[in-house]
Amino acid sequence: MVTIRVDEKACVGCALCVDECPTDVFTFDEKKRLPVVEKPEMCFGCLSCSKICPADAIEHEGIKVSTNFYHDAYALNMAAKLGLAEELETGVTSEEADRKRAVDDLGIRLLSIASVLRQTLGNALPAVGRMAGTTLAAQLPRYQMPASFDEAIQVVRDSLNPAWIIGETTRSNESLKLKVEGCFVRDLCKKEGLELGGDLCILFGTYLLGYLGKVTKSRLRLMNTAQGWKECTYDLEVHT
Amino acid sequence: MKVTISTEWLSGCSGCHIALVDLHEKLLSLLEEAQIVRSPVLIDEKGYPHATVGIVEGAVRSEHDKHALLKMRESVDKLVAFGTCAVYGGPSGIGWLYSRDQVLDAAYEQGPTNAGGERPDAEAPALENSVRPIDEYVDVDLYLPGCPPHPFFVAAGLRKLADDSRPGLTHRSVCADCERKMEKRQGVQLRPAAVAGDDPDLCFLSQGIVCLGSVTLNRCMAPCPKIGVACTGCAGPAIDVLTDPQRDLRSELALRMEKLCGIPRSEIIAYLEKNANTFYAYAMSSPALYKKPTVELREWAGPSAVA
Repeated sequence: MVTIRVDEKACVGCALCVDECPTDVFTFDEKKRLPVVEKPEMCFGCLSCSKICPADAIEHEGIKVSTNFYHDAYALNMAAKLGLAEELETGVTSEEADRKRAVDDLGIRLLSIASVLRQTLGNALPAVGRMAGTTLAAQLPRYQMPASFDEAIQVVRDSLNPAWIIGETTRSNESLKLKVEGCFVRDLCKKEGLELGGDLCILFGTYLLGYLGKVTKSRLRLMNTAQGWKECTYDLEVHT
Repeated sequence: MKVTISTEWLSGCSGCHIALVDLHEKLLSLLEEAQIVRSPVLIDEKGYPHATVGIVEGAVRSEHDKHALLKMRESVDKLVAFGTCAVYGGPSGIGWLYSRDQVLDAAYEQGPTNAGGERPDAEAPALENSVRPIDEYVDVDLYLPGCPPHPFFVAAGLRKLADDSRPGLTHRSVCADCERKMEKRQGVQLRPAAVAGDDPDLCFLSQGIVCLGSVTLNRCMAPCPKIGVACTGCAGPAIDVLTDPQRDLRSELALRMEKLCGIPRSEIIAYLEKNANTFYAYAMSSPALYKKPTVELREWAGPSAVA
C-alpha cells in the first residue's frame, strides 16, 4: 500500500498535482486550497506529482523506485551532504555491484550500436570515432585547457580515467608512443568472449585519438597499433 | 569536550560571516557550547589552529584562496561549505565562462573605467585558472547553500553536523515558504526583465514573470517574493534539478510556468537561454550544473565565451 503525504505547510495550492496525476489519485479542496489524497490505492509510483510540485512538498512511502544508472556521482554526493532530514528517493546506490550492472547493461548496447555503425558506415567508422572524441574535448571546462603538450597528456589521463587508464607515454620529436593499460572495451570483450580489434575497439580507439588530438591541439596520424589483453599500444605521428 | 569553530573567508563578500553573527541570541547559546578559535571578522588570528568544525565562505579564485582552503581542511575535523559561493561558485562563477586572461584584461586593461591600466602582479595573489567551488579541491562534510543561508537553517545544519540523530533540513523549494497564491491563468504575456508584478498576492509565474522560486532550494525563508521581488535563485538548484541529470532549471521552470500562465514552453526556454548569465548566475561554475547534458552555458553566453 502506498502512502502519499502532502506537506500542508509547504503546499502552495497550485493544484498542478491534481492535473498531472495519470490515475486521478488527488482531488482538490477549493476551500482549504489543498490537494486531498483521495485514492492512494490507484498510485503506481510514477512520481509525476512529486516532480511537478513547485514546493517539492509531496512524498511517497511504499513505492518501488526504479534504479537508473545515469545519475552524476558528484551531484548525488552533494545532495547527500545537504544535511537533509530524510533520505532522497533517487533510486540510486553507489554500490560497486550497481555500477557493474550499469556497465554491463550499457556494454551490450554499445556492442550492437558499433556493429550497426559499421554496417551502415563501412570504412567511415574511424572518422565517426574521431569526430565524437573531438566534440567531447571541445566541452572541457576552460580551466582544464592545458598550456603544454605534457600538461595535455595529463588532462587526458585524468579526464578519461577510469574508462581508460593510460600508462606510459614516450615522445620524441614527431612521434608519440601511447600505452593504454586499462580499457573498458577490453573488459567488455573479455566478458563477452570477443576478439580484440573489433568494431567497438576501432570506434573507441579513434575516439581516444580524436580527444587526444583536440586537447593537445595537434594533428595525430596513427602509424601502428597493437592490441593485447594486458595493454594496447598506439604509435602516433604528431604534427603541431 | 567543547566544540571549537574556525572560519575562513575566500572569494566571497563576507555576507556569510555576517549571517553567522546574525544568529543573534542563538549565537550566545552557540558560544556556550562552542568556542570560536579563528574568524577573520571576529578574532585577530592569522594562523590555522585546530578546530572541530571549519566554516568556509567563498569560492576558490586565487592562489591564496586555494592555500587557505587546504590549510583549513588540514586543521579542522569537519568542513562546512557555507554559502552559495563555497557550494556552487556563486556569482563570481561567471569567470568560468572566460579565460583568466580575458578576466584580467577586462578588469585592469580594456575595461571602460580603467583604460590602459596595469595588472597587479606583485601586490595581489595570482588568479587560479578558473573559479571553482571548494569541493573540487577538498572533501566537504556539509553543504549549506544560500546567499547567505538563513540563520534558521544555519543553526539546524550545524546541529545536524554535530549530532547526526538531530532533525535535519528540509528539501523543499522556495515556494514552500512563499505566501503568494499560485493560480492558473490564460492569455498572459511573458514579461521579460520584470521582477515585480501588479498583484502582490499572486504568484509571479501566474503573472508571466520569471521567478526561480520553484527550482531553488529553500535556505532563505523566501524573503524576496514576500516583499514583492521575484526569486533569483541565490541558494542554487532545488533537489530534483540537482540530482536528475535530464531535469534542468529551464525545463522545470518552463513546464510549470506553461501550466500556470499558458505561455508556450518554447518561448520561456528561449528567453531563459538568451539570459542564461542571469538565470544561472549562482551555480554556473559547479560541475553539478555545467556537466548536465542539456546545459550549454558557453553556447548561450555568446561568441566571446566560446572563443
